[in-house]
Amino acid sequence: MRILKRNINYPIFCSLTNYLNTKTTYSEQELISLLQQRNDHSFGYLYDNYSGALLGVVSAIVADKETARDVLQEVFVNIWKKIESYDPAKGRLFTWMMNVARNAAIDKIRSKGYQDSKKNFAIPDTDSNVGSATMPQLSDTGLKKVLTKLKEDHRVLIDMSYFQGYTHEEIAKILEIPLGTVKTRIRSALSHLRTLIT
Amino acid sequence: MNVKEYISSGIVESYVLGLTSPEEQAEFENMCRQYPEILQARIDFELALERQAIQNAVEPPSSLKQKVIQAISPAEAKIVPIITGSIATVKTNWLKLVAAACAVLLAGSLYWNISQYNRNRKLQETYRDLVRDYDSAALRLTEIEDEIAMIALNPNVKMAAMKGMEPSPASFATVYWDTTSKDVYLVVNNLPKPASDKQYQLWALLDGKPIDVGMIDNDVFVGQKKLLLRMKNVSGAQAFAITLEKKGGNPTPEGPMFTLGNL
Repeated sequence: MRILKRNINYPIFCSLTNYLNTKTTYSEQELISLLQQRNDHSFGYLYDNYSGALLGVVSAIVADKETARDVLQEVFVNIWKKIESYDPAKGRLFTWMMNVARNAAIDKIRSKGYQDSKKNFAIPDTDSNVGSATMPQLSDTGLKKVLTKLKEDHRVLIDMSYFQGYTHEEIAKILEIPLGTVKTRIRSALSHLRTLIT
Repeated sequence: MNVKEYISSGIVESYVLGLTSPEEQAEFENMCRQYPEILQARIDFELALERQAIQNAVEPPSSLKQKVIQAISPAEAKIVPIITGSIATVKTNWLKLVAAACAVLLAGSLYWNISQYNRNRKLQETYRDLVRDYDSAALRLTEIEDEIAMIALNPNVKMAAMKGMEPSPASFATVYWDTTSKDVYLVVNNLPKPASDKQYQLWALLDGKPIDVGMIDNDVFVGQKKLLLRMKNVSGAQAFAITLEKKGGNPTPEGPMFTLGNL
């Protein structure tokens, strides 16, 4: 059994040796090409350079630290599995990874297990949270921090659509405003958001 | 269409942030191919977003990297612990089975040992009995051989075959007398069993006078018969006779004569 355990660690030793023999910075194109060739070291490089930024993205959606880390692990597994489906013509690698992260995070907060655990933890705060489905519930991290600079009606729309994953139709229903209005307001909010981050 | 208006409509951000419908998405990608300004606007926003994300990074604990790398490691490496796990379970099950089997074997062995010990003890007893019986039989055989040798092969031995008389005509006995050593041997061929207070007595007859040659033990008529009975020596005899006397015998014959025979 000891010998077999050593086998488990083998890929890590492998990437360490690769690390010593390979240069430590890549252009995005090089990185994509190596990742799509399933190069171990390029994955380590990707993790080292982007795990923090992606955890920031996840943490803006998933409040619980432990859960956010679990989601980050899922995100990297998904990146590794789906790297072939990434098309550089449609966007940058980070954009693609950020969307993988956001989707995983939203899947998590919408999962039954997460909803149940949140219910349990939320019991003492129930009164203050009544009717707060549309309110930002998380500490302000990353993109979320930018939200605070938006107008109230814009902030609610970005929060619901981007951070909570509601579709435009769902938002229209919840806020009782026409679907067309939801779309134009979101576009308007996003334009404003752009000016805040560039 | 006005490219600038399109760029500032929020579609670029919607697309990059993943908030567009599939139709809007396809349309935007098409626009990017046609209008380099739109593509540039997209890339600018992507870079701004990336920069903003890196600035707001939340560093994961260092232990997470190993977990992630293990999670993406080739399938066989991940299967290994599962396999070893199942081997371990099988092993413990196997060990339990062996332990149980050992217990059963031990109990069985114990029972077998006890029964074998008892059987062995019985066999030893039987063996001892058999050896004793064999020794006595062998001794008896040697005696008989000696007796036969003494009377049958000795040319000096004379025989008197005594026939049955009035009380029991079927009676018959034989006397062998060694004329040199004067030894007398009696073979009781057929005599009725005497009452417990009576005993047969052998007499030698010399010139009409009876000479006591000894009593016949009543045990001769019970159990294993002794073939040749050693009687008293007698210096001279012409005939022999057996009478039934009181227990212990008489100096002269008083009871009825059962057998009589000449030399």
